[in-house]
Amino acid sequence: MQGASLKAVDGIKGVIRDFLRKALESEAADAVLVPVRTPAKDSYAWILTNDPALLDEAGPLAPTMPVQGAKALKSLTRKGQGTARVIAVMRPCEVRAAVELSKLNQVHLDNIILLSYDCIGAVPLQDYVGEPAGSEERFDSMLEARKTEESAVKPVCGICVDFSLVDSDIHLGLIGLAGESALLIPNSEKGGALLEAMGIACEEDISGWMQAVSGLKAEREDKRSKALAETGASLQGFDGLHAAFADCVGCHNCQSACPICYCRQCYFDSEVARRDPAALLDTAIARGGIAFPGDRVMFHTGRMAHMSLSCVSCGQCSDACPVSIPVADIFSYMADLTQATFEYAAGRDDGEPLPLRQYREDEVEKVHEIVKGAEEEEVAHE
Amino acid sequence: MDKEFTPRIAAILCQWCSYTGADLAGTSRLQYPTSIIAMKVMCSSRVDPVLLLKAYLSGSDGVLLGGCHPGDCHYEVGNYHTRRRFAILKAVFDTLGLESARLKLSWISASEGPKFAQVANDYTEEIKKMGENPSKKKMFL
Repeated sequence: MQGASLKAVDGIKGVIRDFLRKALESEAADAVLVPVRTPAKDSYAWILTNDPALLDEAGPLAPTMPVQGAKALKSLTRKGQGTARVIAVMRPCEVRAAVELSKLNQVHLDNIILLSYDCIGAVPLQDYVGEPAGSEERFDSMLEARKTEESAVKPVCGICVDFSLVDSDIHLGLIGLAGESALLIPNSEKGGALLEAMGIACEEDISGWMQAVSGLKAEREDKRSKALAETGASLQGFDGLHAAFADCVGCHNCQSACPICYCRQCYFDSEVARRDPAALLDTAIARGGIAFPGDRVMFHTGRMAHMSLSCVSCGQCSDACPVSIPVADIFSYMADLTQATFEYAAGRDDGEPLPLRQYREDEVEKVHEIVKGAEEEEVAHE
Repeated sequence: MDKEFTPRIAAILCQWCSYTGADLAGTSRLQYPTSIIAMKVMCSSRVDPVLLLKAYLSGSDGVLLGGCHPGDCHYEVGNYHTRRRFAILKAVFDTLGLESARLKLSWISASEGPKFAQVANDYTEEIKKMGENPSKKKMFL
């Protein structure tokens, strides 16, 4: 693998702006999808544009992520691939969500060029909105140092292990590189073709960058397993679950902010999930009382069963929670374990089928272990 | 006076194999406990894991999902999918420290009336030993 080294004149953001401008001007791409700072300067919005001049306003590396990029991409391609070639600049977790959504037929990536970059984390949305100027400053200083400050980013960003090259078409390497330089790395045929069309030659050795990334990754893996084990320990049994979700107001914001929860009608918002009013008093008497809003543990646990196999730990659920439940930590804890059960990693590879869309006659070890009871009976019976 | 605990077990059975097996147990006059509350579905793979979760959190002492033997599915591969859907729920239960032993998957064919009766008896005994589902007394679920 090789890359092209780029020198920045106007910081790292300038590198990406420059690249996008050239891509539009050389007609290698028809449009770009990038986060742009809103006019009030207190948030970011995804903008689809073919106007190179507008890119001056683009903060291609946005400090915060109000909307998951995969959701923006879904709006663009939900009815098919379209004819325009669009470069989407997204965080690695957004790319992974886009890959999962493409497996779920919600996003079509054929004409999309996913441009990812080494991510140093995202500022929690509430923090950013509360103090936009300060957050910008802190993010810029992190970006300059190319180092994550855990106190400034979402908790799941501090323990993220997929912060670098994922299944994107082009990747911008930053970590471990000196000064203002960045590495443009083609990561698919499509990505390579685009760079070629733009006349960018990729002949540089990238092993130094790779080494820096894998070093940080090892460090993060350790941190992640420790942090999630702690989250898991506090979550055990009905008492643990109740304590974790006691403040839940039942708004389902975590579900609507989630890039993976794409169903138009969620089971938990449907009529069948609502309790029969006539039976509520009986239930209340049998249990000694019943709390409203009800079925909170059912909602969260059910959502884990529904989407944890595709969870990319982007942390949008925590950002969306009005009562600061660490939803993302809880779901990341669950996702790591369920995905390991199926020997799957969400968003790792768009050629890897979704675990629930396929099966094996001779199941993977952990699944076999779980359903062994039924299988053993069969042997005994024969 | 101690009232003996009779579990209530929600049994979701596929119509081609397990439900027919349960029928056969009945017509063969085999005895199995009244704890089994049978529900018929077209295929075990039709059962969203959330429905099993709902039965559990609504106070079912046990939840039994029955399908055709692997390879014998009326829809060819439905039960292979069931196996995975069931596994994900079990994994979620184990991860959260919930009693995953209250979830059971069983392959029972249409001709296996005796096996159905045996599974019903054994599972009822197992659940009796576990006692009542604690979710029955939880206000804040």
